[in-house]
Amino acid sequence: GPEELALLERLLGLPKGNKYGVQGERKVPVLQTNNGPGLTGLMTIAAHLVKQAKKDQLLGSTAEEKAVVQQWLEYRVTRVDGSSSKEDTRTILKDLNIHLEDKVYLAGNVFTLADILMYYGLHPVMVELTVQEKEKYLNVSRWFNHIQHYPGVRQHLSKVIFIKNRLYTNAH
Amino acid sequence: MGFGDLKSAAGLRVLNDFLADRSYIEGYVPSQADIAVFEAIAAPPPADLFHALRWYNHIKSYEKQKASLPGVKKALGKYGPADIEDTTGAATDSKDDDDIDLFGSDDEEESEEAKKLREERLAQYESKKSKKPAVVAKSSLLLDVKPWDDETDMAKLEECVRSIQADGLVWGSSKLVPVGYGIKKLQIQCVVEDDKVGTDMLEERITAFEDYVQSMDVAAFNKI
Repeated sequence: GPEELALLERLLGLPKGNKYGVQGERKVPVLQTNNGPGLTGLMTIAAHLVKQAKKDQLLGSTAEEKAVVQQWLEYRVTRVDGSSSKEDTRTILKDLNIHLEDKVYLAGNVFTLADILMYYGLHPVMVELTVQEKEKYLNVSRWFNHIQHYPGVRQHLSKVIFIKNRLYTNAH
Repeated sequence: MGFGDLKSAAGLRVLNDFLADRSYIEGYVPSQADIAVFEAIAAPPPADLFHALRWYNHIKSYEKQKASLPGVKKALGKYGPADIEDTTGAATDSKDDDDIDLFGSDDEEESEEAKKLREERLAQYESKKSKKPAVVAKSSLLLDVKPWDDETDMAKLEECVRSIQADGLVWGSSKLVPVGYGIKKLQIQCVVEDDKVGTDMLEERITAFEDYVQSMDVAAFNKI
């Protein structure tokens, strides 16, 4: 929601001053603009901020990269934010683990807004995972550990611990 | 430190294992460490070593900027798991056979010396190897065993846990730790031989005491 957008603003190096509100039951964030009804929706506002900060590369450089970034932003808003059950969470982690098997970042080799918003979106989930679960979703853990160390991303969020020596090496 | 022989399949497997939970050889950004290891590898790792392959393709994408990546390239023995040596390039280079053998006697002398040197080195290596005691990998685990509720007989629960016997498993001290609502969890230490006892097995056997045990977690894990 709005707190996340504030984190994003700081990460992008934007000056403070944007006003956010929320709308409706699902607390969709709204950015109040000077002229007009304002921008609605996490994805929309986030992309707008990226462009404001002139860091368009965070949205992807090639057509394919841009599409992949959009895919994960949409995933974040529809699947992660909408998830309610442990079953949902497990599916998300499974999907991500498969996707990240051959990639360092969600879009492949470059850090994008997809990584940022998926990190913020999954933080509450990752905080609760057991040691065994973190090892089960090994690729997600690797990616999450990487992103939380990326300069400017974690800020005041708690650091999720990933132990170096794997315990359950038999259970692959 | 090192990955063994990175030109061999075994070395690549070590690298693959190392990279399972890491994006880079060192730290969280691409650096000269990645370039050093990248350059030691002859070809892209095979598809079944998918962590190594992921890393390889990622570092390849930095090919143009490799000179400007941070850090300083060090010897391969400075990277990788602490308990493995680097043996890449240890294979003896084939002598240059193109030299025409003009003076037969010189050649003989040379090979005598070379032979002596090689045997000396071999003897050194053997003695070094034999000095290393057979190391049994052990780990110290701290387990959290949770009961169903505050009425569970914790003394009986502890008895059940300690009744689990296995070759390579030694139980240590324990204590009861309150976790709220009058419920206490059993925190118990044990030492296991890594080859013989795994946490999977421990969890299975402990949670088998269904009447008492709700769950088991590894609270701490240290290699000894």
